[in-house]
Amino acid sequence: MQPHLKFTAQMLRHVSTAALWLAGGGLILMTVFITAQVFMRYVMNDSLVWSEPASVILMGWFIFLGAAVGIREGYHLSFDVLLYFLPQGAKLVLYSISDAVVAAFGAGMAWYGAELALSAWDVKLPSLGVSGAVDFLPLVGGGCLVFLFSIERLMRRAAGLPTARFGEDPIEEAA
Amino acid sequence: EVTLKSSDTHPDGYPTVEAVKQMGKLLEERTDGRICVEVFHSAQLGEEKDTIEQTKFGVIDLNRVSMGPFNNLVEETKVVSLPYIFKGVDHMHTVMDGPIGDEILAAFEPHGYVGLAFYDGGSRSFYNKVKPIKSIEDLEGMKVRVMQSDIFVDMMSALGANATPMPYGEVYSSIQTGVIDGAENNWPSYESSGHFEVAGYYTLDEHLIVPEVLVMSKKSWDNLSPEDQAAVRQAAKDSVPFMREQWQAREKASEEKVRAAGVEVVTEIDKEPFMAAMDSVYEKHVTSENLKDLVARIRATD
Amino acid sequence: MEPVILFGTFTVLLLIGTPVAFCLGAASLATVLYMGLPPVVVFQRLNSGVSVFALMAIPFFIFAGELMVRGDIARRLVALAGAVVGHMRGGLGQVNITASVLFGGISGSAAADATAIGGLMIPQMKEKGYSVEYGVNVTVVSSIIALMLPPSHNMIIYSISAGGRLSIADLFTAGILPGLLLAVSLMVTAWFVARRAGYPTERFPGLSALGAMFINAIPGLLLIGIIFGGVRSGVFTASESSCIAAVYALLVTTLAYRTMHWPEFVAATKAAVRTTAMVLLVIGCAASFGWLLAFLRIPAELVAFMKGISENPLIILLMINIVLLFLGTFMDMSPLIVITTPIFLPVATAFGVDPVHFGVILVLNLGIGLCTPPVGTVLFVGCAVGRISVWDAIRTIWPFYGAAIFTLLLVTYIPSLSLWLPSLFH
Ligand code: NA
Ligand code: NA
Repeated sequence: MQPHLKFTAQMLRHVSTAALWLAGGGLILMTVFITAQVFMRYVMNDSLVWSEPASVILMGWFIFLGAAVGIREGYHLSFDVLLYFLPQGAKLVLYSISDAVVAAFGAGMAWYGAELALSAWDVKLPSLGVSGAVDFLPLVGGGCLVFLFSIERLMRRAAGLPTARFGEDPIEEAA
Repeated sequence: EVTLKSSDTHPDGYPTVEAVKQMGKLLEERTDGRICVEVFHSAQLGEEKDTIEQTKFGVIDLNRVSMGPFNNLVEETKVVSLPYIFKGVDHMHTVMDGPIGDEILAAFEPHGYVGLAFYDGGSRSFYNKVKPIKSIEDLEGMKVRVMQSDIFVDMMSALGANATPMPYGEVYSSIQTGVIDGAENNWPSYESSGHFEVAGYYTLDEHLIVPEVLVMSKKSWDNLSPEDQAAVRQAAKDSVPFMREQWQAREKASEEKVRAAGVEVVTEIDKEPFMAAMDSVYEKHVTSENLKDLVARIRATD
Repeated sequence: MEPVILFGTFTVLLLIGTPVAFCLGAASLATVLYMGLPPVVVFQRLNSGVSVFALMAIPFFIFAGELMVRGDIARRLVALAGAVVGHMRGGLGQVNITASVLFGGISGSAAADATAIGGLMIPQMKEKGYSVEYGVNVTVVSSIIALMLPPSHNMIIYSISAGGRLSIADLFTAGILPGLLLAVSLMVTAWFVARRAGYPTERFPGLSALGAMFINAIPGLLLIGIIFGGVRSGVFTASESSCIAAVYALLVTTLAYRTMHWPEFVAATKAAVRTTAMVLLVIGCAASFGWLLAFLRIPAELVAFMKGISENPLIILLMINIVLLFLGTFMDMSPLIVITTPIFLPVATAFGVDPVHFGVILVLNLGIGLCTPPVGTVLFVGCAVGRISVWDAIRTIWPFYGAAIFTLLLVTYIPSLSLWLPSLFH
């Protein structure tokens, strides 16, 4: 096993773990926001106007971060019945094509997400008062990670290491 | 030959949808079929915030939208979203048909849009399930759903109500169960959403008379020859009287249906205290010289 | 040509094992590039597709479900169901179905239902002399009940796919009678199958034992009351109830049951994030896909096409059901809701079907798809829990499929089954 690849994989594992913790934190924070909104509206008769837009942005963060971690851990929904009937070599080629497509889409998320963020830079979001760019940052962050993790899958496969097949156990356990 | 794709969040048959179709008909006749318009109604291409971006990219050519989503982008649009800025619908027509209207349409251009025409959006008034609102005191502490917009939230707070933003789809059951006491809208929406079934008191305070706007993508606009540009602009202008007729008919039909259902409508209301309460809102949102000047000129228009 | 690229790219990527979300996204991207439109529109739709406030109910209900399964709420519901219906013919089969009704009242996930109830019931059934296949069959098909009874986040996905203007409260209420009808028809089927196989019944444990189990299950059962009571009395909205469910499940498992500790909590949160991200990314990418469908006027053409076949709504609904059942065998539920709603809902409404009624048909139909191979998440869960092959399960599952499809036909052709209950609240 190439030491570089091993080092990179370890780094990315930390990135992935951090992303998952952040996403979990986002989910819990969102729970707090909505509970606070219900309490403030019903008990205090003083609705929070920011809880809705803030929750939506948090949700964006944990969806895109969680989705990127899913690339690495292989927990996305997929349908690969056809592949059962193919020889191992052909399967690996098709998996690599698939990973390349996902990498390209992740790059698109990051690139065009940045374009959207820039064009919304001067717009102020109602009730939050922050720049409209914030709306698109989860897309950029998630896109970068999707790209990175897909490239890692391609490299691992090229080096003959196992990668998580979508719908199977995470790599760390399978490896 | 060009087909201009147009977006609208209202359903088929709604006055704004019919008006854009009418504009397309005029355009097709006048250009011997070279330019047609295809309307995607019912938010098929997305909510207003999204279609506004798509219009900027040039994916959508025409877009009928409310002014709200433009407020933080095109400063001039803010002025018509101010509560009680117009004395009534006729006053709004006079202002928007005149030089001030043209000035606001022109303000879209630097942001990637060509403002073509203003359509009616009726006047928004309060409805609730608790009691008839006859004075500003009646609003005190009432939970009222408003759109997610700083001006509207501040307006509600200034009137002493508890401004509660909420997705439109949840308003009906929220009024019914008492999560909120009421909301605010125009006759047609009050009727078509069924909100009158659960909120039986409607007070015609007409706090917002916000016209809607038909814009064209600057990218699509630049692809047209100057003659065709002129034809598009003229057809849009010519669809306005048609739109207003449709709107009035629709408003009347809605009003009749709602009144027949036994809703208590408060028509006689002293708006002065409501308007007086708006000073803080104007102070906070009318900040630039440009806006102050527009407000002054609108108030000076008869 | 554009539809060919859209559907072609999607199908090819799906077949080579690309995750469904990226199949939808990449197919949209390819089509947009072919049409010469700016690619940024695909990513804008993706972002606004997940930036919908009402979607928050999905993470919350999934979170609540994880907390309930890991915090012992589910096990106590199963014990209660055992005490109530265990003495009927095919005893544990009836218990399994009843437990799904109870669990379905607090969770909307068929997979969680199959994991929780299957995990508890299938070993018990095996021990008492039931065939494992029977246990798996009952577990798998009865988990559809959880989709139908409120809370059901799939109804929320449908409401959003339908344009976000349908009342979530109405959709929730509309699923109740069809869900209970499904439970009854499965119980009747379980009775017949058990009689033919000569399965035993359980002894009635006596009223005091029943009482004890009921008391044990009360905190879990209270959640049903809290969700309904809270929504109906105006404390919170239907979608906010999802958050309250999660908070309540957390309180019950930490304070009352004392089963939820830091490691379980972390595991539940991570599991909820994983499932949520998986489901919502599909929804976001399907927003791009759906936008292209509308842009290319595909639903409108489909309406015209189907009108050419028949003007009879009964036949149109039958055709839609067959297409959905077919698609459901190949794909999972939430992506199919988001992909097919913009296509079929306009068809159904053009033929006079109420959108709320159509939502119930759609969720039940695609719920059946979760139990059918080749792609049947719940079937896989059931087989994994029972440690049998998919083949063994489907050899014997037919009576239960039959009961589910019978219920689907009743629900399709008797609109009042769905619409009567919501109409009471108007
Ligand atoms: Na449920
Ligand atoms: Na299936």
